[in-house]
Amino acid sequence: MPKRLKISPKWLFFSLLTCGVIAGLAAAGYVFWVGHSEAYNVTREIPWGILISTYVFFVVCCSGLCLVSSLGHVFGVTQFEQISKRAILLAIITMLVGFGTIAMEINHPIRMAIWVVLSPNFSSPIWWMGALYGGYLVILCLEFYALMKDRHGMASTLGLLGFVMAMAASSNLGGVFGLLEARPFWYGAFLPLYLILTALVSGGALLALIVYFNHRTRGLPFHEGERSFMDALGRLQALFVGLLAFFLIWKVITGLYGRPPQGYEAMMALINGPLSLPFWLFEVLLGLLVPLVFLLRRQSRTPQGVALAGGCSLIGMFFMRYDMVVAGQLVPMRVDVGEQAGTWLAYTPSVTEVVIVLGALSACLLLYSIAEQRLDLSSTHT
Amino acid sequence: MKKRRLAIVLDTRKCIDCKACTVACKTENKIPLGRETYRNWVSEGPLRGEYPNLGQSYTPGQCMQCANTPCDRVCPTRATWVNDDGIVVVEDRKCIGCKYCMTACPYNARYYNEETGAVDKCTFCIQRVAVGEIPACVETCPTKVRVFGDLNDPESEVSELLARHPYRVLKPEIGTEPFLFYLM
Amino acid sequence: MSNLFWNSLSRRRFLGVTSLAIGAAALGTKAKVMEALASSVADGTAVQSIRNVFTSCGMCVNKCGVIARVRNGVIEKLDPNPHFIKSRGMLCARGNAGLDMVYSPDRLKYPLIRTGERGSGQFRRASWDEALDLVAKNLNELAEKYTRAGTMFVSTEGFQEHFFTTFAECYGSPNTLRHPTLCLSSNIQGFSATFGTNPTPDVLNADYILMSGANRSEALLTPDSIDMITGEGGKRKIVYLDPRFTKTAAKADEWYPIKPGTDMAFILGMIHVIVTESLYDKTWVETNTVGMEQLIPHIQPYTPEWAEAECEVPATDIRRIAREFAAAAPKAVYYQGRRSSFFDNDTQMRRAMAILNVLAANWDRPGGMVPNSKVKLEGHDYLAPWYEDVPERLEKGDVAYLSNKDGSWKYFRDRVLEGTPYPVKGMMIYKQNPLVSVPNRAKTLAMMEQMEFICTIDITMNDTAWYSDVVLPESTYLERDDPIESLGGILPVVTTRNAVIPAMYESKSNLWIMQQLAKRLSGEIFESFNFTMEEYRHHQLKGKPQIAEALELKGVYYPKTTPTYGKFDGKRLKTRSGKIEIYSAKYAKKGLDPLPVYTAPEEVPQGKFRLILGRNAYFTHGTTAHNALLDDIVAENTLWLNTREAKRMGLKHGQMVRVKSPLAEEQLRLQVTQKIRPDCVYLSHGYGVLNKKQQLLQGKGGSDAALVEDKVEPISGNVAMHQTFVEISAA
Repeated sequence: MPKRLKISPKWLFFSLLTCGVIAGLAAAGYVFWVGHSEAYNVTREIPWGILISTYVFFVVCCSGLCLVSSLGHVFGVTQFEQISKRAILLAIITMLVGFGTIAMEINHPIRMAIWVVLSPNFSSPIWWMGALYGGYLVILCLEFYALMKDRHGMASTLGLLGFVMAMAASSNLGGVFGLLEARPFWYGAFLPLYLILTALVSGGALLALIVYFNHRTRGLPFHEGERSFMDALGRLQALFVGLLAFFLIWKVITGLYGRPPQGYEAMMALINGPLSLPFWLFEVLLGLLVPLVFLLRRQSRTPQGVALAGGCSLIGMFFMRYDMVVAGQLVPMRVDVGEQAGTWLAYTPSVTEVVIVLGALSACLLLYSIAEQRLDLSSTHT
Repeated sequence: MKKRRLAIVLDTRKCIDCKACTVACKTENKIPLGRETYRNWVSEGPLRGEYPNLGQSYTPGQCMQCANTPCDRVCPTRATWVNDDGIVVVEDRKCIGCKYCMTACPYNARYYNEETGAVDKCTFCIQRVAVGEIPACVETCPTKVRVFGDLNDPESEVSELLARHPYRVLKPEIGTEPFLFYLM
Repeated sequence: MSNLFWNSLSRRRFLGVTSLAIGAAALGTKAKVMEALASSVADGTAVQSIRNVFTSCGMCVNKCGVIARVRNGVIEKLDPNPHFIKSRGMLCARGNAGLDMVYSPDRLKYPLIRTGERGSGQFRRASWDEALDLVAKNLNELAEKYTRAGTMFVSTEGFQEHFFTTFAECYGSPNTLRHPTLCLSSNIQGFSATFGTNPTPDVLNADYILMSGANRSEALLTPDSIDMITGEGGKRKIVYLDPRFTKTAAKADEWYPIKPGTDMAFILGMIHVIVTESLYDKTWVETNTVGMEQLIPHIQPYTPEWAEAECEVPATDIRRIAREFAAAAPKAVYYQGRRSSFFDNDTQMRRAMAILNVLAANWDRPGGMVPNSKVKLEGHDYLAPWYEDVPERLEKGDVAYLSNKDGSWKYFRDRVLEGTPYPVKGMMIYKQNPLVSVPNRAKTLAMMEQMEFICTIDITMNDTAWYSDVVLPESTYLERDDPIESLGGILPVVTTRNAVIPAMYESKSNLWIMQQLAKRLSGEIFESFNFTMEEYRHHQLKGKPQIAEALELKGVYYPKTTPTYGKFDGKRLKTRSGKIEIYSAKYAKKGLDPLPVYTAPEEVPQGKFRLILGRNAYFTHGTTAHNALLDDIVAENTLWLNTREAKRMGLKHGQMVRVKSPLAEEQLRLQVTQKIRPDCVYLSHGYGVLNKKQQLLQGKGGSDAALVEDKVEPISGNVAMHQTFVEISAA
C-alpha cells in the first residue's frame, strides 16, 4: 500500500498563508512592472482605494491592540497582563503590514522616506501620520523588548507612552480625512474620535481572538481565570461596539438630516447605492449587530462567543474602512457629463489590488503564527 | 519687482465646448495621452428643462490657483506650494505620490502623471508666462473665453473685468479663495 | 520659494523655458523660418535648436494660421498665428491635435503594393520607383483599353489638390470627382442662381441671424463660429432651427426642433409675412432685383399657419421672427450654412433662403450677405495635351447644373456600375476617402470591385487605401512646402505652408508624386509639372512683393482689416438679368421651378426613425477620427435617441443597439438624450471603418456611409443624406 500523504491542518494553514503571501508579492511585482495606473483601478476622481482602506484597517488594529492591552500593564488591570506580549507583537506586525500596504499605494515610498525628513510639512496630517506611527513603532518595539526581558518598569513607562501615541496616531489618522474641507462626508471632528473608538473595537476583537486561538491551537483548557477574563473582555467589547453603533447612527442621521450637500449623496452611497452591500451586510450586520447579540447575552458571552463576536467585528471593521474611504470619494467634485451625470462615480478594486490585500492579510497572520512558534509569548506572571 | 497675482477671468457665455483648450494644454505641457490625464477641462453642465425647452452651459476650468490652498496644506513633503506669482506649482522630485492633494482638491484639478512620476496640474503654463507669453488655453481659444493677467496691476484687463462685472468663483463655501473668476 | 522651484525643475521643463525664451525673442523679429540656437544650461553640452515656423493648418478646410514650434527637429506645439485675421487668432482642438497626424504610429510610411485579395489588407513594401512604374503602366494600359476617360480621378480640397486635378487634365480624363456633391453644391447652386455668386454672411456685424442646421459651434467655420459668439454682444439675436439641440442651439437665443426637411416651409412662411405686411424696402427691391411681381402671388398660399402644419414651428413664432428679422434688416441675415446635402429639395430651399435675404435688402451691406473678395495670384500656366476620341464626362446630362470639375458622386457611381455610356476601370484617389464619405458604401465597394486598378495617395491607411492596389504615402501638411493659397471671404487672406520638419519616412509631397508620374507618362505632360515649389510660388507672387514680405514676417497677407461694402453697387451681377433674381429665368428655361415651390418630405414610417447626420468639433469628416489626441475627447460615435422613445422601447443609455436601414445594419452604443426630436436618430460621421489598420478605430461606432441611402437632389447633383429611415433594436 502506498504511504498515505498526511496533510496536517497546521501544514495546510501555513501553506495557504505562504501561498497568499507569495500571491501578494507577485502582485506587487506586477505593479512594479506595469505601473500603478495599469494595475490599479483608482482614478483621478477616486485616488484612494482598497489599499488605503486596508492600511487604515491594519494601523488602527495596531493602535487598538495597544490601547486595550495597556489596560493590563498601564492601568494595572491584571487580567489583561497575560496577553501583553502577544498584543504588542501583533501590534508591531499589523503596523508593519499596514506600512507595506500603503507603500504599495503611494508611488514613491523611497522618495517619501527622504523628503518627509528633508522637507517636512507640519501642516500635513499625512506627515504627522508618518511621524506618529513611526515614533509609535519605535515605542512598540522597545516595549516588546522590555516585556520579553521582563523589565516591567520600562515596559510600564513605554506602555503609557504607547497608549498616548496610539490615541494620537489613530485620531490623527481620522484627521487625515477629517481635515479635508473638500470632502463633506469626511470633514469635521467626527472621524478622529470615531477612529479612536474603532481602534478600541478592533483591539478588543483581536485580543479575544488571540486568547481564544492560543488556547485552541495549544489544546489548553479555559480555566476559570481565563473564562472571567474573556467575560470581562466581552463586556468591554459590548460597550465599545454599542458605542460604535451610536456613533454610526448619528453619522447616518447627520448625513441624511437636511440633506447636507455632498455628505448626503455619500451617505446614500452607503445606504442605497454602490456601497450598500458592504455597508448593510458586513459593516452593520456582521460588524455591529451579530457581535452585539453574542456579547450582550450572558449565555453566549463564552470564550467561543466572545471570540466569534471578535471575528465578526473584525470583518465588519475591514469593510467599514473600505466604506469610509470610498464613500468619501464617490461624489463627483465636478458635474462633467451634462445629461448623463450620475449621482456617484464608480470604483471597484482591481484583481491586483485585491490580491495585494489578501497577501497583506496572509502576511499578517503568517508572521504572527511564526512568532508564536518561535518565541515564548506566555505571560511571566502565570 | 512688484509681486504679481496671476489670475484668469472667464466668460463662460462664450464657451462653445470645442475643447481646443484641453488639447492645446495637452500638447504644450506634454501630458500623457488618456482620458484621465488632463490639466484643464470643459464641463458640460446639467441639461436644463425638458424637450423641446432645453438649455445647457459649458464651464471650462483648471486649477483655481487658490489663495487658501488645500493641496499646499496637506502635502507631506512640501512638493506643492504657491509661488510668488500666485501659481500653485508641483516640484516633481519631491512628490511621493500619496495623492493626498488629489483628495484635498475640491475641483478635481490634479492627476497623477506616470511619465513625470508626480502629481500634475495646471501651472498657467508657467514656462510660457516666464517669457511673457500667455497660457496655451488662453491663447488658442476661438472665442477667447479666458482672459489672463495680473490682479495686482489695477490697469490689467483682468482687474478691469472684475471691477466692471459681477462674477462668481466655484465652491466659495469651501473657502479656498480661487483665482479663476467666472463672469456672470 | 520660486527660486527653489526653478532649480528643481525637471530637465525637460527647464530646457523648455530657456529655449522658449529665445524662440520667443526671435518671434516677430525675423523671417518665416526663425532659428535660434540655445545651449543647454542643464548639461552644458547639448545644443538645443528651436524654430518657430509659420504655416497653415491642414486638419480641416479652414486653413487657420499656425506657428509651429520645433525643438531639435521635433514638432513640439502648434500655436495659433495671432496675425491670421480669418481665424481670429485661434486654433481649435483639431488644429492643436495636428501633431498626432505627423507622429501617429499608424501613418503610411512607404509605398505599398497589394499582394492579397482586395480588402484583405495584404500589402508589401515597395520602392517609389517600382510603385510609380506600376501606376504609370496601369494608366497607360487603361488609356489604351478604355480611352483616357476610363480612369476617374477622385480628390478633395487641399493646397496640393491642384496638381492632382491638373494631372488628371493632362492625362486626359474628364472624369474628376470631387467632394462638393457630398457637401455644399446645392447651397452654392441656390445662392448663385439668385446672386450670381455665393456670398458670405457678415456674421460679425449682423444683428439678427437665422440658422438652419448650420451647427457653427460644432462644425467650426472661421471666422463665423467665432463671430457668432463674439460679435456685437448683447444686441445680437440668433434663431436656430435644428432637429437636434446642438452646442449651437445652446448658444442661440431661440431654438426650434424643426421637422427635418421642412425648413423651406418656415422660410416661405416668413417671406409671406414680410411680403403681405410690406416689411421690405420696396425701392431697393425694385432697383436691384427682378421677379418681385411673380413672388407676390406665388407666396400667397404659404401662410405662417400653413407653414406651422408643415414644419411644426408655431405660426405666431414665424410671424414674430419674420417681423423681428425685417425690423433688423439690413443687418439681418439668413445664414446659409455650408453642408446642404440634406434633402432632395435643397437647391430650392437655399433659393428660398436667398430670397428672404433679398427681402432684407442685406446684399453687400454690413451685417448682410457680402460677396467675397479674393486676392488674385498668378495662375499655373500649363498646357494639357490634346487627345482624340476622349468622350465627355461620364454623368454628363444627368444633373441640371453639373460642375465639370466636381462631378456628381451619386450619378457618377451609378454610371460606373451600369457601365454606360462607357466603362470606367481605373481609379486614382487623392486625399478623399469615399468609402467613408459617400452614402451607400456597398455601391462604392461594388464600384471599386469592378475597377482594374486603384491607386490611393493618402497619409493613413483609411478604408479607401485599404481597398486599393497601390498606396502612396503623402507627406502631411506639416512636412511640405505648399503653394501660396488665396482664401476668399469678406476679409480675404493669403497664406501658405512651409515645411515645419522634413518629410518623415519615405512620404513625399503630392507635387513630387505627380511630377514622377508625369515623367513616366510623357515628356509633354511633364512639361506642365517641370518646376520646383519655390519656382511655382515665386511665379504665383509675381509682381506682388508685399505678399511675399507679409508671409515672411507674419505668416499671412491681408490687404485690408475692415470689410468693403457696396463694391457691387451699380454693377452687373453674374446672373442672366445682371440683377438679383428672385425669379430665376434660367431655371424657368430649364423647366425647373423659377420660384421655390414647397414639396413636403416623406413622413417617417411607423416604427422607424429618420436618420440624421452631423458632426462635433473634435473630428473632420472621415479624416481625423484616427487621432490619438482627439480620440481622448470622443472615441466613437453613438446613436442619439430621444429619452421618451428610449423609454417606450425599453432601451437603456449606453447599451449596444442595432441600426437597420434598407441598405445595411450597424451596431453602436446608444445615447439616450432629450437633445433630439423623437422621430429622429442621429449619429456622427466617420466611424465604423472596414480597415484593420487604424488601431484607434477598430470596433468603434457605426458607419453612416453604410446606412445612408444615396438619394439625390437633381438640380445640383448633391446627395440627400437625411432621407433614410432606420429601425432600432437592442443588440
